[in-house]
Amino acid sequence: MKFSYQWLSELVEDLDIDAKEVSRRITLHTAESEGVEVHGALLKGACPATVLTVEAIPNSHNVKAEVETELYGKKTLACGAPNCRAGLRTMYVPLGVKRVSGVDSDGMLASAAELGINSDHDGIIELEGELGLEADSIIEIDNKSLTHRPDLWGHYGMARELAAILDKPLVDPVSMELLPVGAPVQPVVIEEFGLCPRYSAQVFEGVTVGESPWWMQYRLGSIGLNSISNIVDVTNWVLAELPQPTHAFDADKIQGKIIVRRAKQGERLLALNGEEYELSADDLVIADEAGALAIAGVIGGKASAIGPDTKRIVFESANFNASAIRKTSSRLKLRTDASMRFEKAQDPHNTLRAIARAAELLEMVCPEIVAVGGPTDVCAELKPMPVIHLSLPWLYRKLGRELPKSQVIGILERLAFGVVDQGEALEVTVPSWRATKDVSIPDDLVEEIGRTVGYATIDPVAPAMPVVPPPVNEERRFYNQLRSVATQQGFHEVYNYSFLSEAQAAKLGVPVEAHIKVLNPIASDQSLMRTTLLHGVLKNFEDNLKNFDQFRFFEIGKEIHKQPEGLPKEVAHLAAGFYSSGGDGAEGLRELERLARAFAPTMRFQPAAEARPFEHPLRSVELYLDTMLLGRIFEFHPNWVEGRAAVLDLNLGPLACMLAGIPKKYQPIRRFPSSEFDLSVLTPARTFSSEVEKALRSSASNAVEQIQFVREFTLPDGQRSLSFRVTVANQERTLTQDEITAERDGMIAAIRHAGFELR
Amino acid sequence: MIAEVEALAEGALARIHAAVNLDEMEAVRVEVLGRKGSLAEFGKRMGKLSAEERVAAGKALNGAKTSLEAAFDLKKTAFETAALDARLAGEWLDLTIPPQGIVPGSLHPLTQIQNEIESLFFSMGFTILDGPEVETEFYNFDALNIPPDHPARDMQDTFWLEGGHLLRTHTSPVQIRGMQRLGPPLRMIAPGRVFRNEEVDPSHEHTFYQLEGMMVDRDVSIANLLYFMKTLLSGIFKRDVTVRLRPGFFPFVEPGFELDIQCMVCGGEGCPVCKHSGWVELLPCGLVHPNVLRSGGINPDEYGGFAFGLGLTRLVMMRYLIDDIRWLQSGDLRFLKQF
Repeated sequence: MKFSYQWLSELVEDLDIDAKEVSRRITLHTAESEGVEVHGALLKGACPATVLTVEAIPNSHNVKAEVETELYGKKTLACGAPNCRAGLRTMYVPLGVKRVSGVDSDGMLASAAELGINSDHDGIIELEGELGLEADSIIEIDNKSLTHRPDLWGHYGMARELAAILDKPLVDPVSMELLPVGAPVQPVVIEEFGLCPRYSAQVFEGVTVGESPWWMQYRLGSIGLNSISNIVDVTNWVLAELPQPTHAFDADKIQGKIIVRRAKQGERLLALNGEEYELSADDLVIADEAGALAIAGVIGGKASAIGPDTKRIVFESANFNASAIRKTSSRLKLRTDASMRFEKAQDPHNTLRAIARAAELLEMVCPEIVAVGGPTDVCAELKPMPVIHLSLPWLYRKLGRELPKSQVIGILERLAFGVVDQGEALEVTVPSWRATKDVSIPDDLVEEIGRTVGYATIDPVAPAMPVVPPPVNEERRFYNQLRSVATQQGFHEVYNYSFLSEAQAAKLGVPVEAHIKVLNPIASDQSLMRTTLLHGVLKNFEDNLKNFDQFRFFEIGKEIHKQPEGLPKEVAHLAAGFYSSGGDGAEGLRELERLARAFAPTMRFQPAAEARPFEHPLRSVELYLDTMLLGRIFEFHPNWVEGRAAVLDLNLGPLACMLAGIPKKYQPIRRFPSSEFDLSVLTPARTFSSEVEKALRSSASNAVEQIQFVREFTLPDGQRSLSFRVTVANQERTLTQDEITAERDGMIAAIRHAGFELR
Repeated sequence: MIAEVEALAEGALARIHAAVNLDEMEAVRVEVLGRKGSLAEFGKRMGKLSAEERVAAGKALNGAKTSLEAAFDLKKTAFETAALDARLAGEWLDLTIPPQGIVPGSLHPLTQIQNEIESLFFSMGFTILDGPEVETEFYNFDALNIPPDHPARDMQDTFWLEGGHLLRTHTSPVQIRGMQRLGPPLRMIAPGRVFRNEEVDPSHEHTFYQLEGMMVDRDVSIANLLYFMKTLLSGIFKRDVTVRLRPGFFPFVEPGFELDIQCMVCGGEGCPVCKHSGWVELLPCGLVHPNVLRSGGINPDEYGGFAFGLGLTRLVMMRYLIDDIRWLQSGDLRFLKQF
């Protein structure tokens, strides 16, 4: 929303700070200013001038003109305007001498567009009398910071803020004595007061539609409203000032009563913007007895619009339900200056004020205009103004500082709140334009007083609070441990998106239906929620192998799984990847196994029963802690990733709990020496060492302290030789040779029983 | 005999001195000092001497033995030292070769900043909470005093999921979950991933990270909020920061503020970073709206509180001067290896 400094200074008496300072004060006390810009910059130093002579320049569309300026004497310049002719009175702008079309052109003659009046760029401005315009400063306020303030969508509301902040008198632009009097002329029916609490309308005749004066065009142009015609410009002026949106219908195109009603399902309306809209019963329309005339609070219709031949108008000033307007405007994707204001919940008390102000302005821009009768005013019973009980000690506790009572009362009154002093408390009546949804509880008044006195006047105070150690978030702590282990092992942390595409899902063979769908994705490649981190991992491989021959990365993120009811299940996983462009691939897989063991030393690897389609057919293991399946290590099939791409996928939910559940206990250091013996086992090709180890363990007595894999070796015939070192010991004494031999024999028997041989 | 001993000793001493290696010297030692060596031979002959002669011969014998042993030890040490020196002299090593093997990886910059802020808050008595990324309309909007017709609920801001759920648009739902779980008084933060339905460009992401903070107690004032924010931000930026509050509208707080910090690039003089205002908008905050306390099961007549939201993604970009937000979730190791 743009605010004109000139406009504000007409409404705040004796405004003695410049636009920049106004912008700063508004930011500190009211709403965020995005900065100040100059409007009509060329008006600075400009003056009227009369064209004395015009001379064609060969081979140029420009002419050489000599002008008599009112401030700078005679000037010669090049001008490209088709209406540059001797005797014309126009505006001269001093810009210094520039060579144009072979002429030393000293300054320029300006068009209305160049001076910031309107968009007329067809020729230089043609003056009758004085222009009377000065460069203005435009303060732009962030719309988002005005969401809760319907009153600040117009200059009068912002002027009230400024007046309150600066403690200056506020000038009301509305004189209610200018409201036409007499019997209402235009009949109006409101079908649902819930959707339209008030509809006021005034008929005028003697209308001549034409251009509005430059001062009005310039003022509206400065805040981004294009001049349309004198009548429409008045509606925009009132909107930008009060900020009541209004609309002017051509009265001769209205048949009978004005009816405010819900649209019929499928009812169509050709709007002022040239678009045809199909409406539903959720939309509110302004209709006459023949059909819809306008989409209420959003846009007028073409059929009833005023045009060059309009002689009589119905001037509408109404109030509509905010959320109904917002719904219609967002469904039709049509945000207008009117709908933006109505959706903030405008003050129903404002409609007649707008008509009074419009009557005054219409007479200025269209002197023959005459009001016919007085306004029609159909109105629901309006709610009484809310009264808030404000305890002063409570207020000071919330602020964290005290204030003189007189100051509190002064601030509230300057902001137009009614105040009754009750000693320790105040009875505060909320003004109608703040009561629609903005101010209703004492906490709202804390803000009014705090911001007006200025938050800078509040000194920081340490809160009085108990000193207690906060509970530790064990899950997060665990994840951070994993992160630090992974980075120590050379893995870089990545963050991947939670979204994926249907194609990505298909690539890993996950059915689309297994995913939660996003109903309004930004792009089709973000339409599903991930049920595994592997899509991201695959992409990380694909993206990075272009830049690196070898790399390691990991992510801790959430899988999101559909549930029959309630919220989806979010399961934290760790996925790690190791890539190598060449080699036999063992390195990466082994390194991921080491990583998994670094997380949980008792992690067990068990060959996966079946490789998934995207996995190397012979390279996948399942990860177990006790009997619980926690994850998987595998190599991507070369058809999925070229080179060697090894992956660890670990479910962190149960892992965190299980590791937390394993208490660490000290074992006394043995006082008696241990003994070791080696066993080399001969197995058929492709026998997993875990099978041999299982056999060894099956016969191990309590004396066996450790069974450790030592080395492997493949014989020429393909058989494998797997060597293990067994450590045996006793806490109480040294084991005898017989005991050790018995242990060894037992294990050999177990090996044979499992179908293997000793080498 | 004494003369013979002396002659032997002299000869042996000369040979020890002349020895060029440990082996030669060892040969002399065995020959002279050994169990069957020459000096031992003299010892055997002592028995035949008179008592008087024996004392004198014994003296001579011991003297020879002692001086030979000393000479022998001295020379042996010299040989050993020379041998060690020779070994060490041959062991030149280029220690400037960069070490081979695993180079440590890196934590994502968002993790790093999150850890820093978490420990800062933990030290001030705040519990760290998590909340789901998929939320209900109740927790994400209703409970936070965002009425059904608030623009934030429009399709263009929120990702809606099948089943009526949504991707949380802020970490604020954890305020409600936290109040329900902990009860008053409480201090909590909730960092996490949030989603907005926005087109992605160098400064906009649909997925980013926030940190929610909340304190609920009896009599929490704006002055307390200011104190906490100032302490917190000095901790984050590791220097004293100047802050200011100005009005800001957020439905879940009343009053609501935008907190600005004085621009650290220009010190408040005005520069391109702060758009020449001297201030940088940093975080929204405010006193918790009574309706929000009620949603969390806390009686607003007894308790009050403050809440704030910190944009972690933005903080990371500020700290490392990252010019394109999309790097953060690119998974590109050329970027990530820098942290």
